[in-house]
Amino acid sequence: MNGPGRQDPPARQGWVDWLEQRVNLSEIFSFLTHFGLVYTPVDTRKPVREVLHDVAAEPVPRYAHGARALGLLAAILFGLQIVTGVLLAYYYRPTPEAAFESTRTIVRDLPGGWFIHQMHAWGSWLLVAVIVLRLLRLFWEGLYRAPREVLWWCAVAMTWVVIQSDFTGRLLTWDSHTYWGTVRGLEVVWAIPIAGPVLAFLLGGRTVNEDVLIRFYVLHLMVLPVFYAGFLYLTFATLRRVGLSRPEAARDQGTIHYREHVYSMTMLTVGLFAVLVTLATLLPFRFHAAADPYATPGGVRPPWYMLAPYALLQHLPVPAWLSGLGLLAAAIAVLLLPLWLRGDDTPGRRRRLRLAGVAVLAVWLALSVLGALLERR
Amino acid sequence: MPIPEERPIRLPAPAPPDRRRFLTVLSQAFLALWGLGAAAVVGAYLKAPEKRDAERTVNAGLLADYRVGEGRLVRHGITPFYVVRLDATRVLALSAVCTHVRCILGYDPARRTLVCPCHDGRFDLSGNVLSGPPSRPLPGYPVSVRAGEIFVQV
Amino acid sequence: MRTALALLFLAATAATARAQTGTPAPPAGPAAVAAASGRCGVCHPAERVQFEKSRHVPEGVRCVSCHGGDDHSLDTAIAHGPGYRGRPARRDIPKLCASCHADEAQMRPYGLPVDQYALYQISGHGRRLAHGDDQAAVCSDCHGAHEILAPRDPASSTYALNVPQTCGRCHGNTALMRVRGRADVVRTYQSSVHARALTGKGNLRAPTCVSCHGAHGAAPPALGSADKVCGQCHTVERRYYAAGGHAGGSSGRPGDPHPECVTCHEAHGVQPARPERLGTSCVMCHEGDSHRLDLGRRIWNGYRTATGEADKAAALVAKADAIPIPTEDYHARIEEAHTYLREALSAAHSVQPEVVAGFTTRARAVGEEVQKELQGKLANLRQHRYVLIAFWFYVLLTLFVLKRFRDQATRNR
Repeated sequence: MNGPGRQDPPARQGWVDWLEQRVNLSEIFSFLTHFGLVYTPVDTRKPVREVLHDVAAEPVPRYAHGARALGLLAAILFGLQIVTGVLLAYYYRPTPEAAFESTRTIVRDLPGGWFIHQMHAWGSWLLVAVIVLRLLRLFWEGLYRAPREVLWWCAVAMTWVVIQSDFTGRLLTWDSHTYWGTVRGLEVVWAIPIAGPVLAFLLGGRTVNEDVLIRFYVLHLMVLPVFYAGFLYLTFATLRRVGLSRPEAARDQGTIHYREHVYSMTMLTVGLFAVLVTLATLLPFRFHAAADPYATPGGVRPPWYMLAPYALLQHLPVPAWLSGLGLLAAAIAVLLLPLWLRGDDTPGRRRRLRLAGVAVLAVWLALSVLGALLERR
Repeated sequence: MPIPEERPIRLPAPAPPDRRRFLTVLSQAFLALWGLGAAAVVGAYLKAPEKRDAERTVNAGLLADYRVGEGRLVRHGITPFYVVRLDATRVLALSAVCTHVRCILGYDPARRTLVCPCHDGRFDLSGNVLSGPPSRPLPGYPVSVRAGEIFVQV
Repeated sequence: MRTALALLFLAATAATARAQTGTPAPPAGPAAVAAASGRCGVCHPAERVQFEKSRHVPEGVRCVSCHGGDDHSLDTAIAHGPGYRGRPARRDIPKLCASCHADEAQMRPYGLPVDQYALYQISGHGRRLAHGDDQAAVCSDCHGAHEILAPRDPASSTYALNVPQTCGRCHGNTALMRVRGRADVVRTYQSSVHARALTGKGNLRAPTCVSCHGAHGAAPPALGSADKVCGQCHTVERRYYAAGGHAGGSSGRPGDPHPECVTCHEAHGVQPARPERLGTSCVMCHEGDSHRLDLGRRIWNGYRTATGEADKAAALVAKADAIPIPTEDYHARIEEAHTYLREALSAAHSVQPEVVAGFTTRARAVGEEVQKELQGKLANLRQHRYVLIAFWFYVLLTLFVLKRFRDQATRNR
């Protein structure tokens, strides 16, 4: 690089080579590719320096822009949630007596505790929004069509896991509003036939007591993140097979080297972090009071993503089991979308499908608003 | 077919290596500040507070500062308490919050009773209700005297 | 030999009993001879059951102690024979009970008082009885006739919780009371805060009928001394009242009684003190007296502003708790302010604005102090926003640096 004969100081190169002779560093690096940091596969037979060089020079479509960044954002937010979540878990205690107190100690007494707590709270909100938007985007662009069905299934599964994480995470503060919101949410879950009771059985039953809290704690910290990581892995395995995006789109937007993509991702991370910090500072989540199982505060609603089923189940003049069955059917239809929405990808058909999607979304939003307003009474 | 003239690609002149390296190092140091900031926040957060039990143990002053028979009000959040020195070695601590409607009690050293200014409830130094509307006795707090200092566990 | 004679005797009396009354006599046996009731319970089972629950039984009092007669015989002629007093007339009951209960020698081993009869004779009940009103209460009306229990026994009719019911047997009977010109006070009492403390919260030290009226010397507290009765428990209020302008007939107007506790607070149906009364009570008597009304207004205004400040401080503390920032000290100071406010209400009985102001100004000062400090803390938190602006400068700079690195990578491509 700088001329013949001149070599980099041996000390710097030394320890990498020393390790290289003892363990396959490329294989360790390839572990990262599975979970999406580098989405292309890596030849683990080459030494790690060569592997890094190849990866950096890999041509990729411009992926960290616009709507395509949603998947990246979901992954980044997940990482952020893990970091802040682990920090919170250092001081949080999952018993009804100590949950609220320990959370309040974190926020009030520990230096930086309020920051980490608000980042985690807003992070979860953004994660849910990003994951849902990603699903909507996949539908809009028709990216569930063959051979990308698995991508759609993973997206639906990840949406489900993230919503469950949000639901389980809410209860952990044992705040009076979130406690009763969880109770309302569980009512919705119970009302769905077949799947509901099974889910409620896994979640721990009808009354929200200390066993349910521990169960939610375990789900939130261990089970659901593992599932999420699993689906993330599957997503990238699919992408390695079917490609990051449609070939024609890649040609339109040009390719860049992976090295530039890394910088774009870093900028995205920094921007996201800044947005989260702003939200955490300007709009912090407030505390109410410790949950009292015998006193319900007024105006408690189930979490916002459950408002539509709540309105459907509780307030529409349809018997509960029927609307529950309808919801179940709708959920299964969404999951199996790629299988029944086959056909040519003509512009006319695409427009019709998009219109149908917008209509369904509008109905969902209307039901959510209805659910929100009804509780204000 | 005419061969299009190949125009030479003109790259901007690279900056001299020293300045480039200096800028690179500066930029990397700047970015490293993020890492430092994160480490500082996380480090401060993770430093386990020793306050757990310490917060509940209140230092009520030196034993020598209390005359025998003197009772002093120690304001401590929502659990203010009286420290009363009974004799040369014995000290006790009682809640200063009346069990009737939570008025702050006063101490009568002549009678060694705690008197509520609101409705004239009276308690003895064991916390028993002597007269007045309070229906529950006054809780006491464990006291220990270490190295001449009085510590009360609320 | 003796057993045979006894059995023969028993059989004979059983046979006679059957022959005389015409009903089959219950099987007689050794168990039928009870210690206290003797054989009386054979014909009077209900009274026997009641009597054997009573406090008299372990002390050797028997049926014959009050009723006379012979309790060893099942033969009515003998059982109700000479010495038999039968059911005592109502007007004789007090004297009958007093025959033991007014005798110090007999009562001393139990530590029981012996003044009940003397008190009864000067009581309202006793005087009416002496004047010929046979319906006036006598000992058995309150204590029961046979099932007399100690007042500390929760099943006793004289147990604190049961006293209103016991007195209410007559004083809650509207017809009975109207004839005697008495209002139905029992229902009024049941709605009072005293009754709620007694029966609702189980506070045995809450006043029952006997707390104010006395038990054996029961009589309404005379006008001019009613405040002394209330003042037995409400000592603080009475102290202020006695030192103030309302005590001792200082109205100056002839024939005008000075106000007592019951003038502003009810007697039987007394309700929890409402501070708003400070603003509305004075005009009830002092209409047209601008000077005194002004005194009342000053008291009320002072209390109202102090409460306002304390409430605003409490609201700020609640807001701070939601953030949350440490507020335990502030909670304590709010309690302190509330202490002063409660003292102010007691001091209001002196109807002297300066005395009340001593407390209300202190409460107000604490409230204002807490507000100022908390608002300072909240303002400090708002300064986080300026840090945010600096942070955004840093973020934009970082993005710029990263973009430079990326462009460099693009150029190198």
